[in-house]
Amino acid sequence: MSRFRSVRTRLFVLGLFPLVALLAPLLARARPAEPPVLARIVTPVPFDPDATDLDARLRPPDGTHFLGTDDLGRDVLARLLHGARVSVAVGLAAATLAFLIGTLLGGAAGTFGPRADRTVLFVTGVVQAFPALVLVAAGAALVPPSAGTAALLIAFTGWPEVARLVRAEALRLSASPHVEAARAAGASRRRVLLVHILPGAVAPALATVPYVLGGAVLLEASLSFLGLGAPPPAASWGRALADARESLTSAWWCVAPPAAALFLLVLSARKLGEALSESR
Amino acid sequence: MARFLARRFLGSVGTLLGVLVAVFLLVSAAPGDPARLALVGHGPIGARSPEALAAFRTMHGLDRPLPVRLVSWLGAAARFDLGRSFRDGRPVTRRIAETLPATLVVNAVALLLAGLVAVPLGVRAAKRPGGAADRIAGLLLDALFSLPSFALGLLLLLLFSVKLRWTPVFSDLSLGFRGIALPALTLALVALAPIARVTRRAVGEALASPAALTGRARGEAPREETLRALRRAMPAFAGLGAALVPQLVAGSVLVERVFGLPGTGQLLADSVFSRDLPTVLGLTLVSGLAVVVATLVADAASALADPRIADGEEA
Repeated sequence: MSRFRSVRTRLFVLGLFPLVALLAPLLARARPAEPPVLARIVTPVPFDPDATDLDARLRPPDGTHFLGTDDLGRDVLARLLHGARVSVAVGLAAATLAFLIGTLLGGAAGTFGPRADRTVLFVTGVVQAFPALVLVAAGAALVPPSAGTAALLIAFTGWPEVARLVRAEALRLSASPHVEAARAAGASRRRVLLVHILPGAVAPALATVPYVLGGAVLLEASLSFLGLGAPPPAASWGRALADARESLTSAWWCVAPPAAALFLLVLSARKLGEALSESR
Repeated sequence: MARFLARRFLGSVGTLLGVLVAVFLLVSAAPGDPARLALVGHGPIGARSPEALAAFRTMHGLDRPLPVRLVSWLGAAARFDLGRSFRDGRPVTRRIAETLPATLVVNAVALLLAGLVAVPLGVRAAKRPGGAADRIAGLLLDALFSLPSFALGLLLLLLFSVKLRWTPVFSDLSLGFRGIALPALTLALVALAPIARVTRRAVGEALASPAALTGRARGEAPREETLRALRRAMPAFAGLGAALVPQLVAGSVLVERVFGLPGTGQLLADSVFSRDLPTVLGLTLVSGLAVVVATLVADAASALADPRIADGEEA
């Protein structure tokens, strides 16, 4: 049991998702009618994710379409595999950006004295006063929706938690002898922050990155579900679920796969975060 | 105590002002002309003429300089006047007020359901760490934290409305409890996980405290012990209440979309779609206000329940 709880195992499980995302164009794509054997092996799902087939709408799972087809006759499995690209890309971009913003602001708050601290705390309080989804949705009303703007908006709501942790650690380090020595030796404020404080202060925040990633994936899916994420025909899991709502009474197989994929991605991110914070 | 409350109140007012200005700047910083955004795609073709755009700008005060608009917007917001919808020209506050009852009823039912299940579960888990209740709670929490509310709602809809036909496919308050059972159940499941987790931790800490040990030594009945531990956990519950507000707001937006419930969450999604900026802003502001007020109330409640919290900060 303990082996399954190790950080390495959980990192491996989470890493499967970016792997699928990277390989999706190989795993699922249109192939000619009489494909060579090699193509048949490397392309297990012979459908283009965006190719519609109106004669094959809402087919239940069978030997041809392993997970059935959706309301436009697109292969559900192909769209599921390609959907990993949207979730992983937006999730990773948003989490990275949120981590950078949070680290810089939290570090500055902890290093640059009480006035900077108060300012950052105030901004954090204002950003946290909004439910993230409401803020992201309001932003989506102002700028045209795309995967990039979704990532930016999600990052903008995700940084306060990182900033809080980095700030606490930076405040502690700021009073430590090595930082005092650096200040006495005439190091500039920026040098103190970047060289002497941040390297030591990011460690506790790093353990929250999987949680931030999980939250970002959920937000992206929610945004896509509301129709405010990457525009069609992007194969996002959230949009797949919104489409599935329309054909719910006749096609249950459109609901389960994207829901399960989202669940597994977020769960493995959370499990990694748990393992990271326990291993410290 | 009074000083603590006063300082927290002032802090909330500051945050609130920040929220107001942030909301206003959010719109003003947006690229594109709001009048054009609002009129294109809606209304007759004639509505896009330069005269129509100018009339629209005058009507919504978009032709004045930014600082003037900020001040007048702040003044109006203080009087609960959030402007008029770009969509149908009716006051934003009235549109919000019309949709609010459905959302509030669903959320109240959901909180009640979640509390009735999560608090006993959390208490059981805290009394016997590693026991059956603890393990069930752990699994449940992992699952509920990872499954997005709308996916959960769709699965429930599939089961109860499509397979079993117990509930309508589109929710409606006028159908009575059956009409809102599924959205309430979904939101209850969203709230269940955090409530159970906080209960388990707070009650566990209270049970481990020297005071609880004294009680046990005195021969306190288990029931009495639990009640005492719950009372000692009050500040944690107050904080939990505040933390649940943003989750329930976001949950409502998604869940109302899933079940087609005409509530405030749907209004937000629709307004974002039709670029009805005054309504989007009004709703953003209301949700921010709800969070700030909930946090303030939670701070006051936990200080009242445990005066050491207020003293600790003043010292």
